[in-house]
Amino acid sequence: MIRNIYKFLSSVKLAMALLVVILSCCVVGVTIYRGVEAGTHIFSTFWFNGLLVMLVVNVCFCFFPRILNRKLTLISLGMILFHLSFVAILGGIVFNSLFHFAGLIRLTEGETLPSGDLQSYDFAEQGRFFDIGKLRGDTTLIKMHVGHRVDGADKKVAYEISVGEGEAKKQGIIFITKHLEYRGFRYFCDREGYAVLIVLYDKMGRELYGGYYPLQSLRQEDGSYLYTTGTKDGPGSIAYPYDRPQPLFSLQVAYRPSKISERGGEAFFQVWPLTHEGERPEAKPLAEGKAALGEMFDAGDYYLSLKEVRYWTAMFVRYDPGLPIVLASLWVGFGGMVITFIGRMRRMRN
Amino acid sequence: MKAELVCFWIAVGLYGVSTFSYIFGLIARQEKLFTVGLYGALAGFIPHTIAIGLRWSETGISPFISISESITLGTFMAVLIFLIFQFSTKKVRPLGVLVMPVVFVLIGWAGTLMKEIATTLAPALQSAWIWVHIIGASAGFGSVLVAAAFGLMYLLKERSSGGIANKLPELQTLDNLSYRFIAGGFIMYGLMIVSGAFWSNQVKGNYWNWDPVEVWSLISWLIYGIYLHLRITFGWRGRKLAWYALIALIAMIISYWGIPFSVETFHKGFRIEH
Ligand code: HEM
Repeated sequence: MIRNIYKFLSSVKLAMALLVVILSCCVVGVTIYRGVEAGTHIFSTFWFNGLLVMLVVNVCFCFFPRILNRKLTLISLGMILFHLSFVAILGGIVFNSLFHFAGLIRLTEGETLPSGDLQSYDFAEQGRFFDIGKLRGDTTLIKMHVGHRVDGADKKVAYEISVGEGEAKKQGIIFITKHLEYRGFRYFCDREGYAVLIVLYDKMGRELYGGYYPLQSLRQEDGSYLYTTGTKDGPGSIAYPYDRPQPLFSLQVAYRPSKISERGGEAFFQVWPLTHEGERPEAKPLAEGKAALGEMFDAGDYYLSLKEVRYWTAMFVRYDPGLPIVLASLWVGFGGMVITFIGRMRRMRN
Repeated sequence: MKAELVCFWIAVGLYGVSTFSYIFGLIARQEKLFTVGLYGALAGFIPHTIAIGLRWSETGISPFISISESITLGTFMAVLIFLIFQFSTKKVRPLGVLVMPVVFVLIGWAGTLMKEIATTLAPALQSAWIWVHIIGASAGFGSVLVAAAFGLMYLLKERSSGGIANKLPELQTLDNLSYRFIAGGFIMYGLMIVSGAFWSNQVKGNYWNWDPVEVWSLISWLIYGIYLHLRITFGWRGRKLAWYALIALIAMIISYWGIPFSVETFHKGFRIEH
């Protein structure tokens, strides 16, 4: 029995079959299924990853016993390095999956959130042995810079952030090809949008409340963008003020940036009677209309105003202790290919 | 018309001349036409190079990003490798019978897809890895195209005797040459994947995400990995591998420039377009 398993695992036919099956899965994963679907049906499935693991097990049982019986030459040395890199990559991946952390943190300019609190993240995922205590201190978005330039190259946007605690706090500017690293945690730019400060006044013009409301950037058919409250699937209203036990009404705000002044522009307000979650608002709003930045909009019993425009940004926070193993192994594998190639060239010449 | 476009279409024209010389040379068994074909390719290569250079110097932005630019570079590498081989050995004269038609069709197609030069390089592409990546990809393509041409030579020599087939090197030599270029292409594809992984790690913090561009490059690499195993572990030689090299070439062209090519998949998510 054990012998048969060993025979099966160590056959070159299995190696070939696995390679062909994996290749076929890849082809299906970019033709029949696409994007996210390919992930759920193929690449993230248990069986597909099982195939990859089996490939590595097969390398261990099939390749190494065969090659180690041979004389060490340039050719065989290269092959050993190449196949060894497969094993090391898998090792790195497994190790990483046990200890890693990945989270998406979203901050409005000026906002600070505790790094070690999972509530701070829109989404967070961690390995079984990841120690949350490693995430120390706070994460702050100081400012988002538009049209950031480095050595003349336009980086479009850059986030000025600060992370960590006390003395060891680290501050820096990140953009798409540059991250910031703090104690093994890496901070990557992901996306950004507008957040508008919507202030509530009574009819006497006294300020009652103010809060930042992040807007979605929705691409329109003509290629332009609509910046509005809602979800990524479309515009929608929010309970306003959302952070009070008793919101007053449902509000939808759309923002039109000014073409001339950065962070200027106007807002379009629509106010409905408060609805419970999931309930559709009545067809006709209580009030609707436009107001430029800083101007008052008459919302029935109250006034509303778009007082300030800031940016929100979302950053990926990653901790991947297995990463150096994987990256180094990639070069080892590549080096192996080159060494084998050189070895063969020399043999052919002789 | 801009000088760049003039050069580009002159190159296409000369590659066309080369293509027809090779094909008619083969049909009519006129070896002289192979010489015409070879010098046609060389003559086309000059304006081809100038066209790329002009495009590059116009804005200073590497002109290898859009699909037509990518094909232009891939064919450039293929012709370069082909010419180097031809002028350094002069061994396999009809080799251009496959290389030049493929180059001609691809570059002509690139011409129809040509867009204005980008004035800025997307920030995600402002990375040194892009150089390693595109050199790996285009040199890989050039190598496997030449390898497939040796495969075709092998099949020609095997089928017919006399005339042109007689002047071709031994079957085993052709088989070995094809294998060498496949092995070289495999390394270049390896370089493309490794640099792609480092690039992705620089931008997104993960080296592999199974996104379509990555999977397509894995496909090209695996196809040639399987070739090498068939040869080394299973002892395949000759006709079967010659066919394999030819069919794999089709897969390669599709995987490169067919469905998947779009930089858009590179960075998804909504962002403010400033
Ligand atoms: C994606 C996966 C793999 C790739 C791309 C790959 C690639 C290669 C390459 C490039 C060579 C050397 C060919 C040359 O001389 O240039 C080779 C040889 C070999 N590989 Fe793999 N390999 C893979 C997986 C495996 C697996 C899973 C096994 C396990 C059975 C295996 C077993 C062997 C053996 C036994 C040899 C040759 C040794 C001999 O001469 O018999 N390979 N492989």
